[in-house]
Amino acid sequence: MTEQILRTEELCKSFGELQVLKGISLSVRRGEVVSVIGPSGSGKSTFLRCLNLLETPTSGKVFFEGVDITEKKKDIAKYRQRIGMVFQNFNVFPNMTVIENITLAPVLEKKIPRAQAEEEAEALLERVGLLDKRDEYPRKLSGGQKQRLAIVRALAMKPDVMLFDEPTSALDPEMVKEVLSVIGDLARSGMTILNVTHEMAFAREVSDRVLFIDEGVVQEEGPPDEIFTCPHNPRTIDFLSKVL
Amino acid sequence: MTKLVNLWIKYYPVFLRGLGGTLALAGITVFFGSILGVLIAMMRMSKLRGLRGIAGVYTAVLRGTPILLQLYFFWLGLPKIVPVKLSDTTCIVVALVVNSSSYVSEIIRAGIGAVDKGQWEAARSIGLSESHVMRKVIMPQAIKNILPALGNEFIVMVKETSLASVFFVGELMTAYQSVQSTTFLAIQSLTIVGIIYLALTCVLSKCVSLFEGRLRVSD
Repeated sequence: MTEQILRTEELCKSFGELQVLKGISLSVRRGEVVSVIGPSGSGKSTFLRCLNLLETPTSGKVFFEGVDITEKKKDIAKYRQRIGMVFQNFNVFPNMTVIENITLAPVLEKKIPRAQAEEEAEALLERVGLLDKRDEYPRKLSGGQKQRLAIVRALAMKPDVMLFDEPTSALDPEMVKEVLSVIGDLARSGMTILNVTHEMAFAREVSDRVLFIDEGVVQEEGPPDEIFTCPHNPRTIDFLSKVL
Repeated sequence: MTKLVNLWIKYYPVFLRGLGGTLALAGITVFFGSILGVLIAMMRMSKLRGLRGIAGVYTAVLRGTPILLQLYFFWLGLPKIVPVKLSDTTCIVVALVVNSSSYVSEIIRAGIGAVDKGQWEAARSIGLSESHVMRKVIMPQAIKNILPALGNEFIVMVKETSLASVFFVGELMTAYQSVQSTTFLAIQSLTIVGIIYLALTCVLSKCVSLFEGRLRVSD
């Protein structure tokens, strides 16, 4: 039951002179919910984006189910189909309706018949309360609805892992809850989740493990109760005193 | 004024033929210029450094030298390197197409560049292949930036083709030259040609902005 699904080994990433990640090793078990917290510019988003190679690591390795996906000859698209990602700015496709946004990848890449893909998409929309928006264009949706659509779009590929990159940071306050509740449901349903977030209360509630990243390294990690109530690392203590 | 009207009444078929020539020349130029421009744009965005370099030099040279010089260059040079006999018009069309392709390639590049970076990332993150990312997600959005700009390129070309009159290829400025050399009414025939150009570009600009508006509505 403790199968490792995602693992990084000494992951480093530099942008020119700037070293953003200075060797991060992490291993995530199937079904585990890991929240990544830390100050802005600490490298936590970059770390997440390295996991599906939206950023190419400068050095280090990323293993998905034991396969090193940083190897050049690997078809990364195949792995990305199994690693869903949700962005801070939603990045829904504005030129497609809600249902088209969701069925695009399953139909194109998994060759699922359109009717079946739409049926599955509708079930997902129902789950997040967006079924009535099925044929709308994203411009008609609120921020919270766009983000729920983005989550569904990722889920439609039936991924094994979901990466959330500050999914509520660009939302108006009254829309944060609707998105968090979807992510919370997902966490409870057994999905493996890596969640970069500033929502400390949420991180504490849903996570199995919390990672505190600062200056490109994991400063501290542990169960949420431990990190939030009795952190040991002075940086963690300092950071939490500012945000809690 | 009466001279102007009389001139028009007598010679309007010549002017209209010239107008037809101008439209045909601009149309052909933008059409083939776009096809070549797409290729150049693809080269400029290629992963291969060599291709990028070639395309970069290509656009730099064509955008950095006067079009009249390019017309002369092709008019003089092209018949020397091509084994079959080429008409003046063909040489000029080729020159205009090549010139236009450099501008079109920049239009395409800018149109693609204007698509939000997040769209690439989202498309990749759901596991689309690179060609699907481009064809299904990026291009449909870029095309909305590209088409109006191509319309403007067509308007620019309508005016640029006047340079072809140096080589007497039968467009609007050539019509002016014919009429003024038989009638010696230079100012009047020039005025008529000017009005036709102005009317044409005004109508075309209006078309482009209407089209642009419609693209925006569907966004």
